[in-house]
Amino acid sequence: MGFLKKLIPPDRWKLPVLVILGIFTGLFFFSFYISNAPSYLGDKPETCVNCHIMAPQYATWYHSSHREKTNCNECHVPHNNVVNKYFFKAKDGLRHATVFTLRKEPQVIFIKDAGREVVHENCIRCHTGLLTDSKLLGYNDETHRFRMERKCWECHRETPHGRVNSLSSVPNARVPLPGTVVPGWMKNMMNTGNK
Amino acid sequence: MKSIQDRLKEKPWLGWVIFLGTVVIVFLLGMLASSIIERRSEAIFAYTPAITFSQFEPRSAKWGEIFPREYSSYKRTADTSFRSKYNGSSMIDMLEESPRMAVLWAGYAFSKEYTQGRGHYHAVEDIRNTLRTGAPVAGVPGPQPNTCWTCKSPDVPRLMNQIGVAEFYRGSWDTKGQEIINPIGCADCHDSKTMNLRISRPALLEAFENMGRDITQVSQQEMRSLVCAQCHVEYYFNKKMVEGVQYLVFPWKNGTTAEEIEKYYDEIEFSDWTHAMSRAPMLKAQHPDYEVYLTGVHASRGVSCADCHMPFMSEGGQKFTDHHLQSPLNNIANSCQVCHREETEKLVKDVYLRQDKVAENRVILETLLVRCHTEAKAAWDNGASDSQMKEILNEIRRAQWRWDFSAAGHGNSFHSPVELSRIISGGIAIAQEARIKLARLLAALGQNREIPYPDVATKAKAQAFIGLDMEKLNEEKKIFIENILPQWDKAGKEREITYE
Repeated sequence: MGFLKKLIPPDRWKLPVLVILGIFTGLFFFSFYISNAPSYLGDKPETCVNCHIMAPQYATWYHSSHREKTNCNECHVPHNNVVNKYFFKAKDGLRHATVFTLRKEPQVIFIKDAGREVVHENCIRCHTGLLTDSKLLGYNDETHRFRMERKCWECHRETPHGRVNSLSSVPNARVPLPGTVVPGWMKNMMNTGNK
Repeated sequence: MKSIQDRLKEKPWLGWVIFLGTVVIVFLLGMLASSIIERRSEAIFAYTPAITFSQFEPRSAKWGEIFPREYSSYKRTADTSFRSKYNGSSMIDMLEESPRMAVLWAGYAFSKEYTQGRGHYHAVEDIRNTLRTGAPVAGVPGPQPNTCWTCKSPDVPRLMNQIGVAEFYRGSWDTKGQEIINPIGCADCHDSKTMNLRISRPALLEAFENMGRDITQVSQQEMRSLVCAQCHVEYYFNKKMVEGVQYLVFPWKNGTTAEEIEKYYDEIEFSDWTHAMSRAPMLKAQHPDYEVYLTGVHASRGVSCADCHMPFMSEGGQKFTDHHLQSPLNNIANSCQVCHREETEKLVKDVYLRQDKVAENRVILETLLVRCHTEAKAAWDNGASDSQMKEILNEIRRAQWRWDFSAAGHGNSFHSPVELSRIISGGIAIAQEARIKLARLLAALGQNREIPYPDVATKAKAQAFIGLDMEKLNEEKKIFIENILPQWDKAGKEREITYE
């Protein structure tokens, strides 16, 4: 507590210090708001195109049959338990945010090993029936290896995003864009001002 | 413990450290915020095309300069080589396929010519050339109103914007021929500023208002069907809304099923024409594609028109929406097989199976209706009175409405086979009911033998049977095509030069 007390400025410095702290906090909330941060807690696919470089992934998913049953998180974050889900999401999300902010994204985005495992587990989570067909067990010594050691998309290569993955592969796709950060009433005010 | 002030007195450089540290942190926080803002605006700019033309640019080639891939796929709608079992992109003479239709439409323009629609690219060409639009030459007005142009061209929203909706509809079809030059294209569905889907035809907006729905609240996925529903729907021309204008209206006020639309027409006592043989007050169904699609399983699973008719395609490392609107039967791999894992052959077989079964009963109803009209004519010829015929004619109207609702759509026997079967079987029951009444009436009038089924084995025989002079109609049309169309094209070209 003594340490904290030392941080409290003398009376005549209180006002400027409060103002400066206010600026910090304000900037923090501003970044929070313009980066649409609360949306990252949810499961909406629109959230993933907050960063527009995800447009090819969004557009190809939207034109695939997986659109009807899944959103991005169904496949790309783990679902074994809720703690792991949010841990993985935070970890992966912060990496994405960092890369995007530093403009370090590659022209063609490939999934990382951790992500591959998650997606594969999620394929199995929904399509268990395809893997446990009793007729197909035990006929072949290689069955286990073929079924469990490879990834689903080594064969199902078009599912669901297709094989063309460049950042510029869907130049004209209609993807939801993040809305304006200027609230309606302020826009109105500015428009009236212009007139 | 010393206070910070005391420490600062001892070590003045500490003050500088705190000051510069704060500067760096604020600087970095500011950079973060500005990076976020930049990348957000990037998202908007990255997907905003560099458009130099107006919202109403009717020439698709102009849009094509900026969207070459979409445009070149659109141009493939000119292709007429694909033919499936029942439909396709070639111009099938439907009256030749089923001459009974000519009898069903006796007294109405459809009995003159009715062909399977070709691709969007041919929209203007085909409406100009069909016998249904007549041969208006030398100042003689054509039989159809300008309302008929509404679905044919992006020149339509351009002109509506200039002169107003009702003024656009006003007048006979030939008076705006030189205004409508470009076939259905980009501006019919796209907003030129954002390239988002948009509604360009007032009839759909008005229909939504009449149903108490707000079209601005629909999702992107619904829009991918609604842009099609601007035209691929049942409609009629209302002559009572604006004086001297045949106003385009979608009859959806009570709902969009065959029965709900029929109820609407009954309420406003509307009929498209009076049948030349039976004198029944008839309804003509006009391709209720969207309405029937809504009752099908694909619609209930959230699949839009564009999902099957405009799937994603990949070309040269780019993926885009295939703007070659066509039968998915000509593009099974990109269309059906996105969801269905069966072999192409099996999928095509499944489609034909449904179409065959619906067609089977549709032909039965069609044949019954030929009998209805022939027997009703016989009743009139034998001196039947209006009051004796009233109920019978109403039943003929209702039965043929069901037949036409099922027959007029483009792929409806596949879009919703169960609904169509239901409608057709209802029609068969009503037609038979009418024939029972006709048999009784004819017997009462002293005519107790079977009225022979007319010989309408070919289109020529059927058209002769209903009294059409096809030679004269074709001759007149030829004169119109040779003399008037070049004038329209010339005037249109001259106007378009002024756009630059």
